[in-house]
Amino acid sequence: MKLELGYIDIQDIQFSEESKIANGVLYVNKDEIQKIVLGQEHIRSVEIDIARPGESVRITPVKDVIEPRVKVEGPGGIFPGVISKVGTVGSGKTHVLRGSAVVTTGQIVGFQEGIIDMAGPGADYTPFSKLNNLVLKMEPEEGLAQHEHEHALRMAGLKVATYLGELARNVQPDETQEFETYSIPEGMEKLKGLPRVAYVLMLQSQGLMHDTYVYGVDAKRSLPTIINPTEIMDGAILSGNCVSACDKNTTYHHLNNPVVMDLFDKHGKEINFVGVIITNENVYLADKERSSDWTAKLAEWLGLDGVIISQEGFGNPDTDLIMNCKKIESKNIPTVIITDEYAGRDGSSQSLADADALATAVVTGGNANELITLPKLDKVIGDVSYVERIAGGFNGNLKEDGSIVVELQAITGATNEMGFNRLSAR
Amino acid sequence: MQIVTNNPLVREKLQDHYAVDYAEGSFGELLVRVRDKAHLGYRLLSHPLSGSVKPNETPYKSVLISDGPGALDVESLTIIENSILTADKFPVKYPQMSAKMRADFQLIDYTLLQSAL
Repeated sequence: MKLELGYIDIQDIQFSEESKIANGVLYVNKDEIQKIVLGQEHIRSVEIDIARPGESVRITPVKDVIEPRVKVEGPGGIFPGVISKVGTVGSGKTHVLRGSAVVTTGQIVGFQEGIIDMAGPGADYTPFSKLNNLVLKMEPEEGLAQHEHEHALRMAGLKVATYLGELARNVQPDETQEFETYSIPEGMEKLKGLPRVAYVLMLQSQGLMHDTYVYGVDAKRSLPTIINPTEIMDGAILSGNCVSACDKNTTYHHLNNPVVMDLFDKHGKEINFVGVIITNENVYLADKERSSDWTAKLAEWLGLDGVIISQEGFGNPDTDLIMNCKKIESKNIPTVIITDEYAGRDGSSQSLADADALATAVVTGGNANELITLPKLDKVIGDVSYVERIAGGFNGNLKEDGSIVVELQAITGATNEMGFNRLSAR
Repeated sequence: MQIVTNNPLVREKLQDHYAVDYAEGSFGELLVRVRDKAHLGYRLLSHPLSGSVKPNETPYKSVLISDGPGALDVESLTIIENSILTADKFPVKYPQMSAKMRADFQLIDYTLLQSAL
């Protein structure tokens, strides 16, 4: 399967009469965006804003971050099974509005979380401070149930991203990159002698605000399966997860999965990147056993020589991570796991809620309990009043001078367990 | 299968359909209750740290365990002991919270549990 990504570099977003892309600027007609958002059932109002790198702006609470893309050649459409019809994506050509994103915000529950600072020390900890963001602050109809609220925000964000992506359909890319994986026999033949490596991508899947969708299917209702990495680049995996800001995988993370990108870098040179095994992180312990049995079985069937495993979220997924690691290692396939740590504010406590002697190669995204002071910024998109109630906040952490003391876990993407974060061992 | 919980919403919604062992108490006290049952030979069926809401944020937790006690299940014991160690790293910061917030935390715990039922 071969996919060409055409990157169109977006240097700025500006409101304008006409939505278009010209000379690296994404011009957006606010009324059209408003029409799309209000067309989504259950959304009563929307405020549309722009947040650019370096601006004194704080966005919170962040629900999702989505990169606009459009399929220009090949079967299927972007975000298959949710926005486009169900159909296998991952081949042909896709245009990417690189350097831009749609950020959705809106309070579904009282303790919602996630901070993106566009300037100051907090900006160093989130990759999204480096993007030109179109921010949608959405309010639901009165009395809307939380799960319907989550769905409405998720769908509105995806629809706006699709609309913006469409603007890039006929724009000449600034750069193109090709990604190709082979069938099993092809790979065996063409890349003979290179170690066969796959990526086990763990998806949060536990209930309201803890879900991930694959071609529209709720991941908790699926057994682990194999997906081509280029399918993920076309939006086959979408985030419905808005808990644990620092180590949840947003839709942007899935589209730009750094493990996938790095494995492609080595593909055909040092390794044969065989594919991606996706698995879930369910609440029921028997599900955890079944799913990890399955990933190990798939790893063995694919004849792998090495596996990289990435995690999502805090606490119980540590158990899934260790089960996956242990069972794959027991098939004599070496693993490297990527996680993050809750090691206490001084970093001296045990980092994970689970461990095993077979987990000998670990990459950490950082310590989510570490404290950081975020100075007052000129503008807030969303609401900071909840900050002391969220994960990583605490009573009295909103200072009189407007600064906030929080643990890193309050910052969106700060300790991402795909290794996408900016401050880490990379 | 029975539900050990400190979540009044879980008691209200599920007590007519499942065996619900409800007691008021903190998140930490609930985990200790589950640990004591694990020592008596009850097997854990759901993960005590389900969800990514941090243990010092939500006061509510529901855990599924086996119906009757059997032989001591070492794996259950390891999971609950590790969960207690992990939860202890998060000092409780919110003894007081609004009714709305309590309701939200109860709902999240309920949906996490539901996904395992």
